[in-house]
Amino acid sequence: MGKSRVRNNIRKLRFFRDEMTQQQLADKVGVTRQTIIAMEQEKYSPSLELAFRIALVFGVPLGEVFSYDPEDDPI
Amino acid sequence: MSYQEKNITVSLVNFTLILGFYLIRVLQMIQGGSFNSTNVFRLWGTIIVLAVVVTILATILTHIVSGIIDAIITKQEPDIKDIQDERDTTIDLRGTKITYFVSSIGGFLSMLTFVLGQSPLIMFTLLVFFGVLAQIIGDISRLYLYRRGF
Repeated sequence: MGKSRVRNNIRKLRFFRDEMTQQQLADKVGVTRQTIIAMEQEKYSPSLELAFRIALVFGVPLGEVFSYDPEDDPI
Repeated sequence: MSYQEKNITVSLVNFTLILGFYLIRVLQMIQGGSFNSTNVFRLWGTIIVLAVVVTILATILTHIVSGIIDAIITKQEPDIKDIQDERDTTIDLRGTKITYFVSSIGGFLSMLTFVLGQSPLIMFTLLVFFGVLAQIIGDISRLYLYRRGF
């Protein structure tokens, strides 16, 4: 519960795409604006499919949008 | 507040009022000496009809009113987005799981009163009580997951 260990650069990538709004990104990837907000606040880890769709919108590899923080990993 | 959160809030308020109404009616029946099978089963029917009809009507009314308020504030056509994405589905599933869990515990406790020699009416009364309570707890957990994240 709480913060996800999956980090992302969605806010930064939106800024470099002419300050794309959260709603515009949400419409392009087919989710609600609340889900984009939750992802940016790292309160929600998207499915692999949604992660790929977001990377595709920004035209960058998946690893440039999302990264994994192994700290506190129980494994 | 998103479309889904509004639905959950309406459901939560509705079921809380239904639970209040149910408890008051049961207490009135016990105090008035009319706690019998006819009245209890009539109350069952009332609760089920209220749960279905009022929830549907209240949800429709809420979206109409919030759409009007939205249009007045933004001076634009209201844009109601009723899509359910993967996060909504996951939260809904988690809420349903909690509802079933509470409902199962409630069902077990209700049966236990029967096993311990109480009247079947007590068991049926408790079944409805725990059913409505489970829905309320499920709604609260959904709202909590929307606010807190997971």
